[in-house]
Amino acid sequence: MKIVVLVKYVPEPTATWKFAPDLTVDRAGVEGRLSELDEYAVEQAAQLAEKGVASEVVFLTVGPAKAAEGLRKALAIGGDKAVHVLDDAIHGSCALSTSLVLAKALEKEGYDLVLAGMASTDAELSVVPSMVADRLGINQATFAGELSVDGGAVTIRRDSDVASEKVTAALPAIVSVTDQTGEARYPAFKAIMGAKKKPITTWSLADLGVDASAVGLGAASVRTVDVSPTPARTAGTIVTDDGEGAAQLAGFLADRGFI
Amino acid sequence: MWVRFVLGLLMTVVCLGIAGRRAFFLYRVGQKFQPLEAERRVDAGSAVRAEVAEVAFQRKLLRWTVPGVAHFLVFWGFMILLFTIVEAFIGLVKADFQIPIVGNFAWFGFIEDLFALLCVLALVVFTILRIQQAPKNLGRRSRFFGSHIGPAWFVLFMIFNVVWTLLAYRGASINAQELHDPANADKMGFLHGAFASQWFAAILPKTNVEFWETFFLLLSLGVLLGFTVFVTYSKHMHIFASIPNVAFARRPRALGALEPVFWQGKKIDFEDPGDDDVMGVGKVEDFTWKGLLDFATCTECGRCQSQCPAWNTDKPLSPKVLIMGLRDHSLAKAPYLLAAKNEAGEVPEGGIPEAAAAEAAKPLVGPQGDESAHVGEHGITGEGVIPFDMLWSCTTCGACVEQCPVDIEHVDHIVDMRRYQVLMEGAFPEEAGIMLNNVEHAGDPWGLGRSKRLEWAESLDFELRVYEGDKIPDDVEYLYWVGCAGALDDTAKRTARAVATLLHEAGVEFMVLGEAESCTGDPARRMGHEFLFQMLAMQNVEVLNEAGAKRIVVTCAHCYNTLANEYPQVGGHYEVVHHTTLLARLVADKRLTPVQRVDAAVTYHDPCYLGRHNRIFAAPREVLGAIPGTQVQEMPRNREKSFCCGAGGARMWMDENLGERINQNRADEALATKPDIVAAACPFCITMLSDGVAQRQQEGTAATTVAVTDVSEVLLRSVRPDLVDSLSASS
Repeated sequence: MKIVVLVKYVPEPTATWKFAPDLTVDRAGVEGRLSELDEYAVEQAAQLAEKGVASEVVFLTVGPAKAAEGLRKALAIGGDKAVHVLDDAIHGSCALSTSLVLAKALEKEGYDLVLAGMASTDAELSVVPSMVADRLGINQATFAGELSVDGGAVTIRRDSDVASEKVTAALPAIVSVTDQTGEARYPAFKAIMGAKKKPITTWSLADLGVDASAVGLGAASVRTVDVSPTPARTAGTIVTDDGEGAAQLAGFLADRGFI
Repeated sequence: MWVRFVLGLLMTVVCLGIAGRRAFFLYRVGQKFQPLEAERRVDAGSAVRAEVAEVAFQRKLLRWTVPGVAHFLVFWGFMILLFTIVEAFIGLVKADFQIPIVGNFAWFGFIEDLFALLCVLALVVFTILRIQQAPKNLGRRSRFFGSHIGPAWFVLFMIFNVVWTLLAYRGASINAQELHDPANADKMGFLHGAFASQWFAAILPKTNVEFWETFFLLLSLGVLLGFTVFVTYSKHMHIFASIPNVAFARRPRALGALEPVFWQGKKIDFEDPGDDDVMGVGKVEDFTWKGLLDFATCTECGRCQSQCPAWNTDKPLSPKVLIMGLRDHSLAKAPYLLAAKNEAGEVPEGGIPEAAAAEAAKPLVGPQGDESAHVGEHGITGEGVIPFDMLWSCTTCGACVEQCPVDIEHVDHIVDMRRYQVLMEGAFPEEAGIMLNNVEHAGDPWGLGRSKRLEWAESLDFELRVYEGDKIPDDVEYLYWVGCAGALDDTAKRTARAVATLLHEAGVEFMVLGEAESCTGDPARRMGHEFLFQMLAMQNVEVLNEAGAKRIVVTCAHCYNTLANEYPQVGGHYEVVHHTTLLARLVADKRLTPVQRVDAAVTYHDPCYLGRHNRIFAAPREVLGAIPGTQVQEMPRNREKSFCCGAGGARMWMDENLGERINQNRADEALATKPDIVAAACPFCITMLSDGVAQRQQEGTAATTVAVTDVSEVLLRSVRPDLVDSLSASS
C-alpha cells in the first residue's frame, strides 16, 4: 500500500509576520516550518510503514523553494521520498487552487491512502482534504483521532462533542488526522542526516498539466483587501480585595452578562 | 644471606610481574578507547600546579577536615615510607644499607617512624569513620553506600600490615646490628632516631637475630608486594592512577563550558559530519582513554554521592555508582575489546568467554521503563550498563566534579552519553522534546516566540533602547541579554524590569536585542542535543558579532555560562558580566544608593551555574549586604557546596517523578533558616524555589510572607521603593 502525506510548510506561528505589498505573507521575512498539525500525519504514516502496512510513504507539498526544508523534516521522521510542487505562478493561491495542484500531483504520483493534518497552522481552513477528495472522486474521512488500515479500507475514530464515531472508508481514500493521534517523534540527528539522502522530486505546473492561469493570486476565490496588525490586548481590570472584592468580581461578571 | 636474597628476588619478580601484566593489560584496554580530544591540551604549568595542590597538598581532600587530614597522613606516611621500602629492598643484599647522607641522621629515622605511626593513627580514624558511616547504619545517606566495602576494609588492613611489618623489620635490623655486629652498629645512623622501630627491637627475641631480621624483611616485602598486586586489581588503583588523572584533567576544572563533540579526537562538524562519525558515547569504548582513566581512578570515597542532588532525593543516580558501573563494564568487556575481530568487525563465536560476549552485547544505556533497572547497594542491575533514569536524573550541577579529589569528570561523561542517546538514537524523556521543538522553532523553551520578547518592558518608566539591526551605538556600555526567562516568564520578567530600572537609575547606557535574541542553547546542550546547540549558538553569535557586541550583562546563570564560556567555541568573544556582579560594582561605585531600609532576613541560594560553575559567590552577597536593614544568612550547603534547585541539565523541562523533588529539598533547607526573603540570581532557581516554598505555605508549614526573589529585586526595594509595585505587577 502506498501512502502519500500532504504536508505544508508554514510561517512560524509564534513569529511576527510581515505582509508583502500584494497582502500575502512575506515568506522571506519570517522563518518557516513543517506545520505542527501535519507532523501528526507524518508520524501516522511512519508508524504504518513500521507496522508493515504501508510499503511506500511519499510526502507531497506545494510551496515556495524553502518548503523543501519542511519535506526534509518529514523525511527525518520517516518515509521514503518526497515531491515538491514548485512554481512561481502558484504564489497567492487559495485553498481551491491548492487542492487542484495537489489533486493533479496525487494523480501523477499514484496513491492508495492520502493522509493530511486536520488544518494548516497558518490559514487554518481544514478544507483542503475534502476539496482534494472531491477533485479525485475518492472517499474522505476527516478529523481522525485514531486510524487503522485493514485490507482495502481505512477505519478512523472521529470524536466530536457529543459522540465518538467509528468510520470506515474503502481505499483509495483521504484521511485528515488530529493531534489525538499522538506526538510525532523527535528525530535523532542520525535520522536528519539520513533524510538528506532521500530523494525529493520537484514538479512544475507544466509537469502536472495545470494551466498557470487557474492558480495563483489572480485566480484566488477570495481576495485580501486589507491587512492590519491585531490591536494589542488591553489591560484587564484588577480588583483589589478590600473586603468588597467578591462583590466587585460578581458585579464585573454580572455587568457582562456572565452571571 | 643468599636465602633471603633469592626468596626476596623471587617474590619481587613474581609480584611485580603480575602487577606489570595487569598494568599492561589496562594499557592495552585503554588503547581501544578513543584518543584525547584535540582541544584538551595539557598545559605543563597548570598540570604541575594541580599535582602540587591536589596530590602533594591534597587540597580537595582537606576540604573534609577529618578524613582529609587522615588521608593526608596516609599519603605522606607512604611517601616517607618509600625511603623505608628502598632501605628494605636493598637490605635484601646489604643488611647494613642506609640511604646516602640523610641515612646518617637520627632525625631521619625519627621522621620515618613518626609518619609510620601517624599513618596508623589515620587508619584508626578511617576505621572509626567507616564504622560510623557504614551503609548498614545510614543506608543511602552513607557515602559508602554502593562502594565495595570488603575490599575497603582489606585495604586498611593491608596498609596496617605494611606499616607494622616494616617497623618490625627495622626493629629486627637494630637487634641484628647491635647484637650481632656491635662494632658496625653505628653504620645505620638513622635507626637511632627510629623510636618506633626500637620498640619492636625491644620486644623481639634477642636470639637468632639474623633469622628474625630476614623473617620480617621478607614478611614486610611480601605484604608490600602482595598489596601492590591487590592494588592493580582493585579500586585502590588511585594510588597510581590519580597522578596522570590529575595531570590530564580539564583545567581549571571540568565545570563551566562543556566540550564540543569529538570523534577520533577531532571536533565533529555538524554541517558536514563524516558518515561514520559517532556523536557522543554509545559504547563504553567511545569514551576517550582519559575516561577509562577516570573510571580506574575512582576510589569509591563517595564524596560525589554525598553532594549529588539526585542521590539525596532518592533518585537512581549516584555519580560514584555510575563511574563504578562504567569501570566494571569496561573491565568485563575488555576481552571483547582486545579480541581479534574478523572482517565484519565481529569477534568470532567462542573467541572470548561468554560473560565478556554478554557484557559486550549490553547496551550502554538501558531502555526507558526498564523494570529490572536498579541502582543499589551492590551496584547496578538492568538491561543497560547505565539505566535510563540514572542518565537522565543528572542536573549537571557539578557538585560531584567539585568534590572529586582525583578530578573525575562525571558531568562530561554523562553529557557524552546523553549526546549519543539524543543524536544517534533519539531516545530521551519524551516531554523534553517539547522544549527542543520550541527552542528550534520559536527560539525559546516555552514556544512563545520572538514577537513576545519585549512585553516585559511595557511597564518600565523610561524608554528602553532596542537593537534595530545596525551596529550597537558607541554610547551603549552594555548589551543587556534578557534571556528567554527574563523576556517571557512572568516572575523572571519582574527581575528583568528590576535590572533594567537599576541600570537606568545608575546611568548605565544599555540596549536589548528584542526579537533578535533567542535561546542560547543551554538546555539543548545539557541534554545532549549538540546539533541544536550549535545551530542556536552560531545564529546568536552571528547576531552579536554583527551588532558589534562587546560587553554583555546577563540575568540568567545559564545564559551567563553559555555566553561567557561556550560561545568562544563558536567564535563569540565578549566580556560577559552577570547582573549581580555589575550591580555590586554600581553600588560600590556609589552609582546606586540603597536608601530605604529592607528589614529582612535574606537567605541567598547559590545557583550552580553562577557559583560552582563560574565561581561568582561574593557579588550577590555584597549586593544584599549593602542594603540597609538586611541580615544575610547562609544555608548549611552554600557556595561550592550549594545544593541544586533541580532545574539544571535541562531537568527544568523534564518530569520529576522519582524520589523527593529536588526543589522541595532545597526550599526546605532555605526555610529552615527562617528567612523573610529567599534570594537567588537565576530565574530557574527562583521558579524552582518558589514552587518549593509555595508548597510549604499551602501546607501551612511556612510563613505566607516568605518571598522568593532575585537579588536585584531586593536591591530595587531599597533604591527605588516607589517603583516596586508598578514593576512587579504581572504583564
